Amino acid sequence: MKAIRRFFRSAGPVNAASSLIAILVGLVFGGLILLISNPGQALQGLGIIVAGGFGGGMKGVGQTLYYATPLIMTGLSVGFAFKTGLFNIGASGQLITGGLAAIYVGVNWTWLPDPLHWVVALLAAMVVGGLWGAIPGILKAKLNVNEVIACIMCNYIGMYGVNYLIKNSPSIYDQLRNQTVSVDPAAAIPKWGLDQVFYNLKGNYHDVSSVNGGILLAILLAVLMYVLLNKTVFGYELKACGYNRHASKYAGINESRCILLSMAIAGALSGIGGGLMYLAPATGLHIEVVDVLSAVGFNGIPVALLGLSNPIGIIFSGLFISHITQGGNYLQRLNYMPEIIDIIIGVIIYFSAFSLLVRNVMAAILRRHEASREKAVLKKGGA
Amino acid sequence: MMDTVYFVVQQMWFFSIPLLIVALGGMFSERSGVVNIALEGIMVVGAFCSIFFINRMQDVMSGQLLLILAILVAAGSGMLYSLLHAYAAVNLRSDQTIGGTALNMIAPAFAIYMARMLQENGVQQVQFNNTFRIEKVPVLGDIPVLGPLLFQNAYITTYLGLAILLVSVIVLYRTRFGLRLRSCGEHPQAADSVGISVYKMRYAGVMISGMLAGLGGLVFVVPTSTNFNATVAGYGFLALAVLIFGQWKPPRIFFAALFFGLMKTIASAYSGIPFLKDLSIRSDIYKMIPYIATLIVLAFTSKNSQAPRASGVPYDKGGR
Amino acid sequence: MDASDYVIEMLNITKDFPGIRANDDITLRLRRGEIHALLGENGAGKSTLMSILFGLYQPEQGVIKKDGREVKIHNPNDANALGIGMVHQHFKLVHNFTVLENIVLGVETTRHGFLKMEGARRRVTELSQEYGLMVDPDARISDITVGMQQRVEILKMLYRENEILIFDEPTAVLTPQEIDELMRIMRGLAAQGKSILFITHKLNEIKAVADRCTVLRKGRCIGTVDVSATDKEEMSEMMVGRRVAFEVPKAPANAGSAALIVQNLSVRSKTHAKPLVNNVSFTVHKGEIVCIAGIDGNGQSELVYALTGLIRPDAGRIFLGDSEITHASIRKRNDYGLSHIPEDRHKHGLVLDYTLAENLILKSYYKPGFQRHGFLRFDQMYRYADALIEKFDIRAGQGAHTVARSMSGGNQQKAIVAREISERPEVLVAVQPTRGLDVGAIEYIHSQLVAARDEGKAVLLVSLELDEVMNVSDRILVLYEGEIVADVNARDITAQELGLYMAGSRRSEVI
Repeated sequence: MKAIRRFFRSAGPVNAASSLIAILVGLVFGGLILLISNPGQALQGLGIIVAGGFGGGMKGVGQTLYYATPLIMTGLSVGFAFKTGLFNIGASGQLITGGLAAIYVGVNWTWLPDPLHWVVALLAAMVVGGLWGAIPGILKAKLNVNEVIACIMCNYIGMYGVNYLIKNSPSIYDQLRNQTVSVDPAAAIPKWGLDQVFYNLKGNYHDVSSVNGGILLAILLAVLMYVLLNKTVFGYELKACGYNRHASKYAGINESRCILLSMAIAGALSGIGGGLMYLAPATGLHIEVVDVLSAVGFNGIPVALLGLSNPIGIIFSGLFISHITQGGNYLQRLNYMPEIIDIIIGVIIYFSAFSLLVRNVMAAILRRHEASREKAVLKKGGA
Repeated sequence: MMDTVYFVVQQMWFFSIPLLIVALGGMFSERSGVVNIALEGIMVVGAFCSIFFINRMQDVMSGQLLLILAILVAAGSGMLYSLLHAYAAVNLRSDQTIGGTALNMIAPAFAIYMARMLQENGVQQVQFNNTFRIEKVPVLGDIPVLGPLLFQNAYITTYLGLAILLVSVIVLYRTRFGLRLRSCGEHPQAADSVGISVYKMRYAGVMISGMLAGLGGLVFVVPTSTNFNATVAGYGFLALAVLIFGQWKPPRIFFAALFFGLMKTIASAYSGIPFLKDLSIRSDIYKMIPYIATLIVLAFTSKNSQAPRASGVPYDKGGR
Repeated sequence: MDASDYVIEMLNITKDFPGIRANDDITLRLRRGEIHALLGENGAGKSTLMSILFGLYQPEQGVIKKDGREVKIHNPNDANALGIGMVHQHFKLVHNFTVLENIVLGVETTRHGFLKMEGARRRVTELSQEYGLMVDPDARISDITVGMQQRVEILKMLYRENEILIFDEPTAVLTPQEIDELMRIMRGLAAQGKSILFITHKLNEIKAVADRCTVLRKGRCIGTVDVSATDKEEMSEMMVGRRVAFEVPKAPANAGSAALIVQNLSVRSKTHAKPLVNNVSFTVHKGEIVCIAGIDGNGQSELVYALTGLIRPDAGRIFLGDSEITHASIRKRNDYGLSHIPEDRHKHGLVLDYTLAENLILKSYYKPGFQRHGFLRFDQMYRYADALIEKFDIRAGQGAHTVARSMSGGNQQKAIVAREISERPEVLVAVQPTRGLDVGAIEYIHSQLVAARDEGKAVLLVSLELDEVMNVSDRILVLYEGEIVADVNARDITAQELGLYMAGSRRSEVI
């Protein structure tokens, strides 16, 4: 009984409820847009969005998991930095530099024993992404440079730098298609039998989804981050820095180290996201040499916000965003534009501001309830 | 040699003026106490609305009249869009970075969605004919040196930008509105205690920033392209860097904008600059220069930042 | 007396905040031309009541009358229109505006929207001469002293031709001499027909200047008395609800060996040529409480920051017993036995979003008792927290699980004191440890400081409150403009003498 009361008193359920409200408002808004652009099919369209990946059967669910993989990673990246009070809007650059490192190792280091190849490639992505994230971290810790601006600059520098490196590395450059070449099969993330679960049967033909072991790794990393943040001394320090940097300095916590490590870890998570993305088996996904920032990096922001920066919450929010993005793809059957999903996500984030209000109101109601009960208890005790 | 200088300076205005306008917009917002990271998104909305307006109207009119009307559309649409930011930041006291990020996400999706829905062919690029370039301003364009630097191969938006700079200085430092606005960004409790409505002033600050950012979107697209593709290439964020580099003061913002404009000119027009062309460095390297320069400049100027003290801090009137 | 002799009447005012009734059926009547004190402890509801009068809050019940007519005050503009002005406890001045800009803010004179300052400048000069409030209209607020800033606040009210002046704890930041000056000004204002509401918890000041006094306690009105017909003891009993000991009970100090030695310490200023801490040397021994007295802003904060490692000193050395800690990290200093009750409990003392238990291990979470292989030991943490909650009587709704933000100021401070004293320090640095607390909490914290001393610890107390300085300390150092200008035994000095040192008009011969 006590445990139940504590659960409802704790922030978790109130927060989750507020996220759900934001989602609801976002979907209603999306429905309105559908209604305006084509009233006849609006209801059907909204149904497709809500059904999301399920609209494509088991394969669709697999695709949801597949697209969710890098989203969860960048979401973890942004969320982790949030916990230290930093806004890592640089996931895009970290993801692309990490991805390039993974591709480079995946294509060139064929001398590695097969079972190790993808592991080393992923580690390379982690290290390079981490280093890329550490740059704004150092600038913030040592020179007080606003990390939002520094991250954005690093996104562009990363993008142009990656383009430059690809064009100047014949081993990984497919000049014809103006993109990177495919990695060695041994460097691809293992499927671990997931393709045997998520497929559609077309006659005798297995129409398999692109899902691979990456989703399991992402979930594992989320759990690890949860433990790191909530159970360890290091996590205690990071969160103290994030909540109140002055008090943590007063307590003898090395704030510069916290900022630097937090950004490096955030970068490493995004880097792994890039690795998992570009090492995915048989998807034909390559880094294209174009002057466009990676959208997956930016979509980590709504994932983190919707998941309230809680690593476990981010697993669900990553799956959700991927889910409705799938829905957006199927929406094209009705001649709706898939960009409507981006609008819905944006609206959800905007309304998480409202949900902050909801959260405060709910917390206040709970507090008042508590206070009145306490008073009653006191009176009883006094009598 | 002089031709190269003229060329570089003329190009520089194309890049500097939108940065100047948007950074000044950001200044009004931050001086009122609201961090406006949504500048990027507002630019996109302003650019989309005004370019689409040009696209629809260019059959009936052209030249400066069309541009002036488009300017009004850009400023108006930017201001309307910024109201969303003001509402979240002022009324709901939400995290201003998050609210701004949401608007940055919605804007390009909105622009693409609308373009594809409203245009007959369903493409997302909005085309326009550039009938706005002024080859040479009469009389002024013939002044030696100054003529080619300022009054040849120019757009009225350049002069508009410089006028906005001048007006900004006067408004900020010489008017009642400016005094009250600044007090809200530094010490909103003080402003409130003398009967100034902090909410109203912050709305004003954000709306001015929306106006200028929307305008900046148009000013950015017109000289450098013939279509709008739902992006302003990170210019809103560069403007924020200019604002920080400029220490929230109009004259310094002007010089910061010139500096970044020059960097951007080098990045985009290096092939027109003989000695840079001879270096035969890859274009990607040049494209990185403005961003690397930003980082370096910020590294040297951030230690003693003079941001408005209450910038980014929601003001809670009933708070205890 | 005729009702219209009251310039302001606040009748049966009730105001609720979430979870607390700040004002409960309070009635206050202000006569024309009187100085009316509003007395109460911190948290008694004085500031809430005044905020209602000033239009910052709306009461749930009750009416306000001006000259016998009911009025509604929705915002400071309404208050201003009724001639009500207020000097807030925390000054409402914009730091990078000039004095003149601050005075005219909100009532600017303009021509075509442009500021017109000449008339305002003339008026301000006239006012400052008329009332003896000398200020430089073109000085920036950040460049002038706190006393000057207060004059600017008073001039703001006079410039608006306010008739009813509210002073919210105006003396907290002033020296005894500045306080005398303020009392003179207030009497002058009253003589000119202004009606003054004077919020305070200091009885001496009420005796010195007020005509009548209304006492609040825990949100309720206890009564209104004529100051001349009552004495301090009676008023303090009304305020606290019981007899108050004005003296802190303690035995004579038994000073032992040197615990904290400071040699020629200096901290330079970033903006001014004069150092913030200038060649300061002193020693604190085991078993004594040494107090650093002085007016706010004379280098106390910087001295403490340098001692505790929050900033680096530019010159000098610091020893903790035999070990030099001048360049040691904050963590090292803690491990050597330095504890620090910080000046600002919200900025430095607590992580407000952490629970009470997490805050209680803020400085020891990394020690073997609370961690194993890098993992926090929550069982140990809660056991420790429960023990401290019990021992130090920290009241928190959900015990160790309470989020620090939701605790009252007094209990937050108790938590910090509990944490710092339980660290078993050799040297305890306590900066304004009783600021903003009620009498019960103040007594408790003073007794804890004395207890720490009696256990043989060295205590360095930094205080702005003269009563605290006089009552708690064994030895007093006075800091003026970053220098120590007096080192005296607490028994050998009067408050007036101390004030002279604090104002910089006197220096000890021995130094």
